[in-house]
Amino acid sequence: MNSETLRAVVDCLIPPDDFPGAYDAGVCDYIEQLFRTDLADHAEFFCAGIDAIDAEALASYNAPFAVLTPDQQVATLAAIEAGAVKTSWHIAPSRFFEMLVNVTAEGYYSDPQGGNRDCLSWVMTGFEAAS
Amino acid sequence: MKTYDAIIVGSGAAGGIVACVLAEAGKHVLLLERGPVLSFADVGRDQLRNQRLAIYGHNAGPELIGNPRVFVDPQGRSRLVKPHELDYHNNAACVGGGTRVYGAQAWRFHPNDFRMASKYGVPDGSSLADWPISYETLEPFYERAEWELGVAGDGGVTQSEIPRKRNYPLPPVLPSPHTLALQHGARQLDWGTTPVPLLINTEAYRGRSSCIGCKYCVGFACPTDAKTGTQNTVIPRALATGNCELKTSAVAEAIDTDDRGYVIGISYFVSSSGAPQRETARSRLVIVSAGAIESARLLLNSRSSFHPAGLGNEYDQVGRNLQGHLYPRAYGLSSTKVFNGIGPGVTIATIQFNHDNPGIIGGGMLADDFIKPPIDFWYDSLPPDLPRWGVENKRFMRDNYTRVMHVRGPVQDIPNPEGRVSIDRTVRDKWGIPVARLSGTTHPATVEAAEFMRERGEQWLRASGCEKVWSTQPGLILSGRQHQAGTCRMGNDPATSVTDEWGRVHSHDNLFVVDGSLHVTNGGFNPVLTIMALAFRSAEYIARLS
Repeated sequence: MNSETLRAVVDCLIPPDDFPGAYDAGVCDYIEQLFRTDLADHAEFFCAGIDAIDAEALASYNAPFAVLTPDQQVATLAAIEAGAVKTSWHIAPSRFFEMLVNVTAEGYYSDPQGGNRDCLSWVMTGFEAAS
Repeated sequence: MKTYDAIIVGSGAAGGIVACVLAEAGKHVLLLERGPVLSFADVGRDQLRNQRLAIYGHNAGPELIGNPRVFVDPQGRSRLVKPHELDYHNNAACVGGGTRVYGAQAWRFHPNDFRMASKYGVPDGSSLADWPISYETLEPFYERAEWELGVAGDGGVTQSEIPRKRNYPLPPVLPSPHTLALQHGARQLDWGTTPVPLLINTEAYRGRSSCIGCKYCVGFACPTDAKTGTQNTVIPRALATGNCELKTSAVAEAIDTDDRGYVIGISYFVSSSGAPQRETARSRLVIVSAGAIESARLLLNSRSSFHPAGLGNEYDQVGRNLQGHLYPRAYGLSSTKVFNGIGPGVTIATIQFNHDNPGIIGGGMLADDFIKPPIDFWYDSLPPDLPRWGVENKRFMRDNYTRVMHVRGPVQDIPNPEGRVSIDRTVRDKWGIPVARLSGTTHPATVEAAEFMRERGEQWLRASGCEKVWSTQPGLILSGRQHQAGTCRMGNDPATSVTDEWGRVHSHDNLFVVDGSLHVTNGGFNPVLTIMALAFRSAEYIARLS
């Protein structure tokens, strides 16, 4: 699994704006830890999905996912979410995508262990008061 | 071998109370608990591994490995499930049971909840029945539970529907901004409202301090011990008498009977230092308080030549009528911030729709909700038309987490005898004990009532000033989970019930079930105060025996 791809994917799912995006919040650290522990049995499945995202990007735009424009990245992920893939997948695209979106949100919004650095999403949402 | 007056299996809402009443009456009691004592630090604050949101684990037991159940889906496909999966229907496995980590809503059932069959008739395919006791019979024991454990609320406003002789010992929780909006909405609709009664100290009470308003009630332990469970009230009282021996990490295998079929005690496993060890204890009485699933499992696993189908199961009633609650949930987007970050978060309810709804059997209570951490909100509460990712999703979380109002509530379950606990003889837990097999669904009439209540939830939020309103509707599923009940129902007829009105198993003088299993129906309310009231009533009766 290419870590540049994962970084670009999570930042497309939760992009930076006034508040950091998923990567700067530590979501990749959270995900790597999760697939070493609770989801170790699914690590291969997950890596295959990330690799398949790059394959989709190459098929559509002749470039890896991380260097696509933001609009191209969104279009690529939206197609995978809808199951409209161009390459041959060894895993179910929609099932992978659901897992991807869930673990990204967990890393961003859950406890500040790996993800949610400095409780930034809790301040962003108002769950915790800004200190 | 030492012979106890009574062995109690399970130290949850009911077992803790039974232990206390018997020990204070001078009885020598052995209280068996399959889980450990859990400290505040043991329970922790993990937002993905707790009793409310258990995606990767669970903070109140049982352990994920070695404690499977078998779940059979409505299509008849069976699979193994682990304790943190929804279809396991877990409650908790620790001293205090579910009360260690619950939200602690402390409702009395409505008088009509005890006479559902008389009031509504029995729909086809349902086992709807009246309780053998009335609300009036249980009323003094509700009061006892409220005062001995400590409930905060305002009983005056529900006096005409749920009459009481004495108010709660503690004042209700303070309103939040969303409370005022919902109060206003209810007035527009001419609906009555009430503060939500809680087993939470709003002031110091009986030696424990008051709530500090943290945001982690349901699913977690309380940092100031202001949340009231059996582990910080009646169990310490029981132990203080010197008459109660609490044995933790002790897993009941079977209720033992002698060569005439008479109940003589319990066989159980302990694992103090690694290898599991079988122990036996002998007693004049056995009281099963392990929760609706595990209590049924223990009776069904206690087989002998006298009782080939398990104890108390002469009429194939043990394990049937498993019920909990369907929970319609409605959400509304307010134009202003309604979140002030002060827990518990649940403050206001209406009991306007618990009964007498046109064309509906029963109904339920609707209330606001405990504070949801952002990840719980993200999983549970977002509008269905919102993209699940991308800038729009993030913006909604940023702008609206503090503006979404939540209304939800338990719908009275119309019992279905096919919603049940049985035993899967091919699957065993790590002790070698055959596991519970859960199958069937609630009755379709429950789904109709849930749909009616979902509409009421949306109506309430619209009247409270929310322009955008959305909701989720439960389908025809097995209910149970933390409100599990009904599997050893009380009754007067041994052919259609498992115990008498005291929880005594019809076919055995000295075997009792005391927990939610006894509930003939489970009300349109959180059931714990009713479990506690029944436990006080049965325990007083048991203490008078011998």
